[in-house]
Amino acid sequence: MSELGMIIDIIEGTTYAMTPLVLAAVGEIFNERAGIVNIGLEGIMLLSGFMAVVAAEATLNPLVGVLAGIATGAFIGLIHGYITAYLKGDHIISGLGINLFALGGVAFGIEAVWGVRGYHTPPDAAKVPDIPVVNISPIFIAMILIAIGTHYLLYRTSMGLKVRAVGENPEAADVVGVNVERVQLLATIYGAALTGLAGAFLSIDWLTAITKELPAGRGFIALALVNFANWSPLLALGGGLLFGFFWTLGEWIKNMAAVKAVIPVTLMNTIPYIATLAVVAGLIGKSRPPRYVGRPYKRE
Amino acid sequence: MNDIIVQMKNIVKVYPDGTVALRGVDLEVRRGEIHGLLGENGAGKTTLMKILSGLLRPTSGEIYIAGKRVHFKSASEALKHGIGMVHQHLALVPAFTAYENIILGLPSREASRKKIEKLMEETGLKVPLDALVEDLPFGVRQRIEIIKMLYRNVDILILDEPTTNLTPIETRELFHTLKELKKRGKTIIFITHKLREVLEVTDRITVLRRGRVVGRTETAKATPEMLAKMMVGREVVMKIEKKPAKPGEPVLIVKDLWVKNDLGEWAVKGLSFAVYSGEIFGIAGVEGNGQTELVEAITGLRRVEKGQVILMGKDVTNKSPGELYRLGLSHIPEDRHKLGLVLDMTVSENSILGIHRLKKFLGSLLNLKWGVIDRHARDIIERFEIVAPGTKAPARSLSGGNQQKLVVGRELSKSPRVIVAAQPTRGLDVAATEYIRKLLIKMRDEGKAVLLVSADLDEILQLSDRMAVMYEGEFMGIAKPEELTEERIGLMMGGYKMEQISSKTSPQPVESR
Repeated sequence: MSELGMIIDIIEGTTYAMTPLVLAAVGEIFNERAGIVNIGLEGIMLLSGFMAVVAAEATLNPLVGVLAGIATGAFIGLIHGYITAYLKGDHIISGLGINLFALGGVAFGIEAVWGVRGYHTPPDAAKVPDIPVVNISPIFIAMILIAIGTHYLLYRTSMGLKVRAVGENPEAADVVGVNVERVQLLATIYGAALTGLAGAFLSIDWLTAITKELPAGRGFIALALVNFANWSPLLALGGGLLFGFFWTLGEWIKNMAAVKAVIPVTLMNTIPYIATLAVVAGLIGKSRPPRYVGRPYKRE
Repeated sequence: MNDIIVQMKNIVKVYPDGTVALRGVDLEVRRGEIHGLLGENGAGKTTLMKILSGLLRPTSGEIYIAGKRVHFKSASEALKHGIGMVHQHLALVPAFTAYENIILGLPSREASRKKIEKLMEETGLKVPLDALVEDLPFGVRQRIEIIKMLYRNVDILILDEPTTNLTPIETRELFHTLKELKKRGKTIIFITHKLREVLEVTDRITVLRRGRVVGRTETAKATPEMLAKMMVGREVVMKIEKKPAKPGEPVLIVKDLWVKNDLGEWAVKGLSFAVYSGEIFGIAGVEGNGQTELVEAITGLRRVEKGQVILMGKDVTNKSPGELYRLGLSHIPEDRHKLGLVLDMTVSENSILGIHRLKKFLGSLLNLKWGVIDRHARDIIERFEIVAPGTKAPARSLSGGNQQKLVVGRELSKSPRVIVAAQPTRGLDVAATEYIRKLLIKMRDEGKAVLLVSADLDEILQLSDRMAVMYEGEFMGIAKPEELTEERIGLMMGGYKMEQISSKTSPQPVESR
């Protein structure tokens, strides 16, 4: 393989690896800005990935699959948002519930739908097609637009002002007539819908498979990315790029016979984590979470 | 001028925990006046105004705005009726700019920089619109809050203790603004406990005490003495028998102590004092002048940045609460729910918090000896006359007074040499208050040193052998209570040092109040 080919490979790989991370992280940033923590990203990715395969395979239309993934995410967001914003439930417990439910639900679902244990590959017709010539996914393009758009929404619109105010000081928002619970609910739905898109991307685009290990920890990496990015969608885009690059690089190096003989694969798997952590920790000093994040807001 | 814009009739408010805050209050405010709502801590002023501004719902009673009956479900509904409240802790988002705070919640077409600038021009209330609120001093933040209300066309502006955190110059500017707003036809309700301010700036005054209206007057006809009498009400004051103090050695010495608050600002600025065995040293002052931070620093709960704390002759600066306890320090914390008790644990369990490692409570396997602990708890219950269903009842099931007695009982059961008591009678009924005050005096007579920090001036005057008045992290003066007049204490609470005022006023006995 030529060196140019190698570089193109790594760039392509990076666009794929970063997409689900950035989507989920940007979504989570949005709802955390409104004060709602959702640690159920992993579970949402898994459930949405599953529903995307089911829908895409049934209709042989990948767009329907993508929409099903988004809708699944949004629905889970609705439940989580209702529990946390309206019922003032514990954010972590509810998020944990999502992850646990997804693990059991999808393992069962795969068997129930396809009669196999653990692994199913959808037909090609259900796969999201690449953009011709450049071989990148349309969801990658969407991801970039979504990250920039979400940043704009948060920092340049009165709607974003409301969202951030609710996460910083819900009482101040309440006094001037912002419906705190509704803003939190909508933000949580939006955040989870983006994670749902990430799940669909995994199952009917990049990996084109559904297993109960589909997200493989990406939901939790996205959670970490939220912190690294200091709750800024644009920084999450940058952080996702870094992580995606090192991840792809790591995969590539792993396959070189010479390296394989010397360094254990498991050790090389840590490359993207350590590299991203090092770069991001160096770039961004002290991160500052939204002041009211994760705390139920109660009047009186 | 004479028409009534706000009318509140027979307002009663009982909080979910059973506390009765308002017992049938009537309030009338005229259009275009500055109306003073005067009362001590806990009189119900803030609760009444939170009801008017829609933050709380009354248990019963009626509210009329310009003659029309209203039922507010939220603060924003009250805001739509032109009622806005500036809270003591301002409802601003610290991480936002002034501009963002002002337009928060408005549809984007109503957010206009030009209009805000024009409003600032007209009212003379100037703030830097693009500065982050967290970087601005308190006085400016308050102005932002007022502009925020005016920009929403508020006609009735409620200010809750607005001068608490202001410098004297800022206070003067605020009063100027209020008079300016009055000229523009705004109605202002001014909540305060400061006599001088209410006399200076208001047109009429309503005085509240323990959830009832005890007086209404035109400001022009009011005197400070008469307002003070209404506000405090002498019938509840009890005389406490006190033998003269026999102070011994200095057992708690604080030298040039510097402490920061949670926001990283200096809260205690170079305090030095000593508390002797056999005396009660009282610290008075309006809350929020660094008393909490001082107590936390002395009791090992907050970092001392500079200076020294010496307990029983040992340097204990930045030592842990456990070490301080072993040297003989007991702490009755100001918030019994947060720091004093674990509400869901039983009376027995609470009775050994902090002393649970004592040998007498532990068996050979480091197991807790419940028999001994229950006896210890029963002992406290008996000695301190606590009304409790039993030692196995959760602390939550006790009344406020009995909870506090439990805290006090536990702390005193440690047989301390030095007792730090912060707001020891806050929220307690008369009987419990009297009990705890007498207990503190008894401890003093037994030769213990008591550091008493209280926002209740009566308490300080009654109990202290020597007292200091704290203002913005410094002592304005240290003296014996009988050497100070009400007026001089008031001046010190307002930021005048004792040296500055002693020449101007002649001392009078405290009882003249």
